[in-house]
Amino acid sequence: FFPQISCQWYCSQKYETLDLTVYIQCNCRIKNEFDTLANAKILLSDCLACDNCMTSEEGARVFQQNQKELFRILNLNKKCDTSKHKVLAVSICPQSLPYFAAKFNLCVNDAAKRLCGFLKSLGVHYVFDTTIAADFSILESQREFVQRYQRRNQEEHALPMFASACPGWIRYAERVLTNLVTSHICTAKSPQQIMGSLVKGYFARQQVGNSDLFLPLYSSKKMGYCLLLFMEFTCALFCVPQNLSPDKIFHVIVAPCYDKKLEALREDFYTALYNSQEVDCVLTSGEIVQIMEQKNVSMKDVTEVAVDSLFDEIKEGDVVRHDGKRSDGYLEHIFKHAAKELFGMDVKEITYKALKNKDFQEVTLEKDGETVLRFAAAYGFRNIQNMVLKLKKGKFLYHFVEVLACPGGCLNGKGQAQTEDGKPDKALLNQMEEVYAAIPVRLPETNMHVQQMYQDWLEGMDSKKVQETLHTKYSAVNQTANNLDIKW
Amino acid sequence: MKEALELVCRVPAHPDSRCWFLAWSPGGGLLASCGGDRLVRLWGREGPGWSCRAVLGEGHQRTVRRVAWSPCGSYLASASFDATTCIWKKQEDGFECVTTLEGHENEVKSVAWAPSGTLLATCSRDKSVWVWEVDEEEEYECVSVLNSHTQDVKHVVWHPNQELLASASYDDTVKLYHEEEDDWVCCATLEGHESTVWSVAFDRSGERLASCSDDKTVRIWRRYKPGNEEGVACSGTDPTWKCVCNLSGYHSRTIYDVAWCHLTGALATACGDDAIRIFEESASSDPQQPTFSLAAHVPRAHSQDVNCVAWNPKEPGLLASCSDDGEIAFWKYQRPEVC
Repeated sequence: FFPQISCQWYCSQKYETLDLTVYIQCNCRIKNEFDTLANAKILLSDCLACDNCMTSEEGARVFQQNQKELFRILNLNKKCDTSKHKVLAVSICPQSLPYFAAKFNLCVNDAAKRLCGFLKSLGVHYVFDTTIAADFSILESQREFVQRYQRRNQEEHALPMFASACPGWIRYAERVLTNLVTSHICTAKSPQQIMGSLVKGYFARQQVGNSDLFLPLYSSKKMGYCLLLFMEFTCALFCVPQNLSPDKIFHVIVAPCYDKKLEALREDFYTALYNSQEVDCVLTSGEIVQIMEQKNVSMKDVTEVAVDSLFDEIKEGDVVRHDGKRSDGYLEHIFKHAAKELFGMDVKEITYKALKNKDFQEVTLEKDGETVLRFAAAYGFRNIQNMVLKLKKGKFLYHFVEVLACPGGCLNGKGQAQTEDGKPDKALLNQMEEVYAAIPVRLPETNMHVQQMYQDWLEGMDSKKVQETLHTKYSAVNQTANNLDIKW
Repeated sequence: MKEALELVCRVPAHPDSRCWFLAWSPGGGLLASCGGDRLVRLWGREGPGWSCRAVLGEGHQRTVRRVAWSPCGSYLASASFDATTCIWKKQEDGFECVTTLEGHENEVKSVAWAPSGTLLATCSRDKSVWVWEVDEEEEYECVSVLNSHTQDVKHVVWHPNQELLASASYDDTVKLYHEEEDDWVCCATLEGHESTVWSVAFDRSGERLASCSDDKTVRIWRRYKPGNEEGVACSGTDPTWKCVCNLSGYHSRTIYDVAWCHLTGALATACGDDAIRIFEESASSDPQQPTFSLAAHVPRAHSQDVNCVAWNPKEPGLLASCSDDGEIAFWKYQRPEVC
């Protein structure tokens, strides 16, 4: 699964684009390496039409995030040179689990535990669930919305607010749309990148020093699993917790889409001091299944192992999710929070009104016969387009929009549930939606760990550390003109 | 054979530039042309010749690659390399740009209006095909972005009476799309050409499609519905489009355009070897394997590549062509008696 990047040159008599003199008069058109990337299905969500905005360096670095990279780290951990050993942590997105559950006919809790068991059997040390990161992201987005709403009359770009969770949308906004749009994007980091901060910032600090001591043993095949647990236990007991530097942790995310690979490369998520990204490698659910197939392992035969939490010996319980149908539920959580904070109204049930198509839905809050909040969920490129066109024309009515690049939301990410010809597997998707809907909802406000971390680690809700750790900046990137001569 | 296609007149339509495309108004009275000079021009008959009736300028910043009339004849759409599509509305004293459709990442290559007049399709070098819907208030909304092609999409055209869209691409295929649930989907991929497909044209019935390519061939595809008598396999409820004829050996360079006359059934081609050719279907040929013969051939129809051929929708045999030399030529075609 590592197709060669190659450049092919094709010639044609017709070069249509030469109406401006700046173009070099050349009869050749290039099928460049991104054709190969596109064939390997590594591209911004299909809905984002084109991968022109990826530089060749980014392309190569996105490409590097594959199963081979995971095995490279696993193999290094088996070598004697302990200086190259890394703690291997894998965090799983909640939108990936329904895929494993539906594909292998498991209940979602079993799927999580078996996936965890499988990853640990490969030599992964910790397996986390990113739901806690989504808790932070939602809480920060909620607060930002209320603040923006209160500033709406003083500040031109305060509203509408656009959700920031989808990397395909963010990429498109930054590369193609202007600051007119990016200034409206919520500054809260996405769950993926917050998970990065939690693992490399918070979790690393909890770790025992000199982890090299047990790592070679840990990954040794001869060692029984019980003994491993014992080792870990004794280490936790007898070693004094101290910082583990971020570059000593290799953090993998399992996600439903390819665009998250590109997100992991963002410069604002890079710590120069340690030459470390918050997320080192993103693998899609489909890529994990490929590893299973390659290893000839069936999910049914894997031992169930409880998923780790970021807090010492505590293991995750049953899988929980957020409100909303097929994604992290930003719209519903922010809507309910804003209704309460701004208008003192308790909203129990949210009624969606489908407008032009099923991927453009509206939710409104009425008070005294007046519409006071107008939210929308806009999924897929066509709805993003219409939204932007309306925004440009000044005809935009919404206060908040949950924007996702994929039609149908995150469950329909291109990294899972695709048929061989690259189309969504609709039957499987329906099953996944049922699985997802059946997962119990837990409000982010009720997660005690999150509250504790705000106090102990983030130094309060309004601290500088919250800004540094949980927020980022989105702004339009001036695209270089040179992509014009890439292909005809 | 030469007398089958006679030159009526030539017009230097887009001097010092290329003339890319021609479109007859639905009534056949006006011809719209577009070119590298960023202009759209409208031509009407004057005495024995043709004269410019209007110039549609200031709409585009770069080459205008294609123009299309709405079925009612009141609107004209122009697709440009500046990544936009302009909608021009007929006013008392000419045409005015009423809307600019933005969204494509780069050069828009083609635009076409559906027979209903409420849908518009555009395609681009960004590999995508977009379907737009227009409401009573002349507001355009994007109803679908189709990313089925893997390369530059050169051409889009609608079925003459159904909401079925065809596109041709640098990825060597033709794709067909229809609406399913609340989105558009690709329902057929026509594979066979060995290089870029530059243009496609439906016949009058819409049961057949002609495609022309950089591989110097014209292929005729025929629609076979599920359960057809001929036993052509179909997958599910979608019809299969099967190549029933391959016109090869006639053209010496890339074929840029193909036009199927809905009045006479004659098939005209525009070729990079500067020639115009016209093919006629043999009346006695088997519909499952039709044979076409060359009925007319004008080797030096233009001094450079011929980019487009267009049959007048009302006047049988009136053909217009345009070229990289910036000229439009008007031709009178008469089917030869022995053909």
